[in-house]
Amino acid sequence: MAKKIKKVILYLALTILAVMCMVPFLLMIVNATRSGVEITKSFTLIPGDSLKENWEIMNNFLDVFLGMRNSLLVAVPCTLLTAYFSAITAYAMAVYKFKGNKVLFSVIVVFMMIPGQLGLIGFYNLCNTLHLIDTYIPLILPAIAAPGTVFFLRQYVQSSLSPALLEAARIDGAGELLIFHRIVLPIMSPGIATMSIMGFIGNWNAYLTPMLILNSQKKYTLPVMVAALKNSTDMQSNQGAIYLTVALSVIPIMLVFCFFSRYIISSISAGSVKE
Amino acid sequence: MKLKKLVSLLLVAAMTVSLAACGSGNDKKTSSGDENGTTEEGSVDKDALVIWTITNDQKTQAEKWAEETGNKVDVTVIESGDYPTKLQAALGGGSKDVDVIVGEPQMLEDFFDAGFFEDLDQAPYNAQDYAGQIVDYVWEVGQDSDGVQRAISYQITPAGIYYRRDIAQNVFGTDDPVEIGKLFADYDTVLQTAQTLKEAGYRCFASDGEITYFSGQSAWVIDGVLNVDQARYDYMDLCVELYQQDLTAYASQWSTPWYQAMSGPVPVLTAEDNAWSEDFAEETADRDTTEVFAFGLPSWGVLTLRDNVGDTSGKWGVCSGPAYGFGGGTYLGISTFSEKKDLAWDFIKWCTLNEETADWWIEDSEGDTVSLVSALEKHADDENAVYGGQKLYQFWQEQAAGIDYSKVTRYDKQIGDAWGTAISKIKTGEMTKDEAIAEFYDTVEATFPGEVTVNRD
Repeated sequence: MAKKIKKVILYLALTILAVMCMVPFLLMIVNATRSGVEITKSFTLIPGDSLKENWEIMNNFLDVFLGMRNSLLVAVPCTLLTAYFSAITAYAMAVYKFKGNKVLFSVIVVFMMIPGQLGLIGFYNLCNTLHLIDTYIPLILPAIAAPGTVFFLRQYVQSSLSPALLEAARIDGAGELLIFHRIVLPIMSPGIATMSIMGFIGNWNAYLTPMLILNSQKKYTLPVMVAALKNSTDMQSNQGAIYLTVALSVIPIMLVFCFFSRYIISSISAGSVKE
Repeated sequence: MKLKKLVSLLLVAAMTVSLAACGSGNDKKTSSGDENGTTEEGSVDKDALVIWTITNDQKTQAEKWAEETGNKVDVTVIESGDYPTKLQAALGGGSKDVDVIVGEPQMLEDFFDAGFFEDLDQAPYNAQDYAGQIVDYVWEVGQDSDGVQRAISYQITPAGIYYRRDIAQNVFGTDDPVEIGKLFADYDTVLQTAQTLKEAGYRCFASDGEITYFSGQSAWVIDGVLNVDQARYDYMDLCVELYQQDLTAYASQWSTPWYQAMSGPVPVLTAEDNAWSEDFAEETADRDTTEVFAFGLPSWGVLTLRDNVGDTSGKWGVCSGPAYGFGGGTYLGISTFSEKKDLAWDFIKWCTLNEETADWWIEDSEGDTVSLVSALEKHADDENAVYGGQKLYQFWQEQAAGIDYSKVTRYDKQIGDAWGTAISKIKTGEMTKDEAIAEFYDTVEATFPGEVTVNRD
């Protein structure tokens, strides 16, 4: 009996939490179907009938699918670069013994602490001199160096990779790169997946740097487009369109999360050496 | 092992896909480049006039301009909060990417000091030849501290009091804008008017922020010294009185009930109600309702009200407030680093100094108030149906004539906000007047150390 009551309370608490998490999303979706005037005048969870108008306002101003394509063009390469290069760096730092390893590691930790916004104007000037303004290269390439991810993956490798595996591979005659690609990478993949989800969401939602670097509206990523839409006309009349755009822009993140969230969970139980 | 194989396969697949994506992305870039004749660096056309702006207005204008003149334009709309950051990053580095830049009054002084805006007084622009064609205060806003013309706006934004004619008729026996204007002539009269309205069962304002636009009687900072004029204290007292004597409907400006008040009865709120709460409608459903008499907004409020008045359309009027004031406005200028300054000047002239454009803009924007004097005079007799057929262009021109722009300083926004904070702390009883004013002085000192001297009295 006591167990049942406990369960009921637990489920109740979890349901409340779930509702609290869902309501803002629901409101967003509902508001996407209401007109700006309705949104500013009252709250409700009953959908309105302005979806079509909002869609038209949005389409008039921006091409949401172009925005998605642009965002994907930035976020996907970013995520993959971060994943691959952070993994290989983390593996090297965790496994190989070489001079300066500790120093390098502390440098990485120090760089984790510095907010990226500090160097913005310098970064802009650099890109300007290199003629990289209004291209995706300054948004994608820096993703190779991701100190936070290296830090996380290094700990992950240390805890989940057994040196015995590497020794076995070397005895069988595998080269170091082959070992990394065939043995280490799969073992690290739960950790990489975790960091990739974070990285993808971060890149998808990135606003400040794309806003500064991109000049032509055709190249805008989704968050920059939404911000421009927010400002474009009278702040009230396009409320509904903004909600609609934001609702649409969340879809890919949800998809990514649906497909990869199990790797976050599996990373808890993953291990390669049975003892 | 199966899982790991799957994962590695997935990763490999993802990588190939991404490589393909990169490849196709590049293909697309070059192909679209061919279509538009773009350069390698980006898709911005080399011949196009590049405009970075904060509103869609310029997009509409640029399209029309391009159509008329056959020039190419490339308009980028940037969120206004980030606009200064973007401009500082780009122009601070001497970027030649942009030709026409814009700013709102409070941004302009910093932009001018940073040297982003081209001097329009020099040849070949000779902007001073056009002085007098634009409403005076707008012309002055576009000048830097040395009086050099650097930006021009196509609109004026003087503030007025929007009131309900039917309520005015009921309570005061007249709905004539001149007569009603007398009821808002100074802060004491506003308070009396508000009390009369309350006795008659109405509320004067929806929020206590409606007179914000009319609060500036003197400059906040004179020669680097903070100047708190007596009128500021009077304004503070008025706000506190309005709040504490239940003379407003306790809505926040731009909140749901504030908009509701435009179209008819709203529930009588108390100071404790949270207008942003989600079940606000249920909480207040069984309350008594009241109607709100007036709103204080700049001339763009004409459009805000038009969209929200609902059944009360035609029952509104606009009259002058206790002081002259203005709010907002987009000012156009040429980037110092632009390589197409002549073209940029053509565009700015077309937007601001061309009567045909002004006619078209009045129609296209459905009632924006232009800054070109000749156009205002031409439309002086236009009647606006939402406002009971009032001749609004005439009215706004009169209001604009009264604005004294020399009172405006770059500190206004932050000092004004600090003063507003002090007022709300007094009205809710959180602090006494002396405490709040002392805190206001502290805030100003901390915000502008070494720039603004504070003499406490």
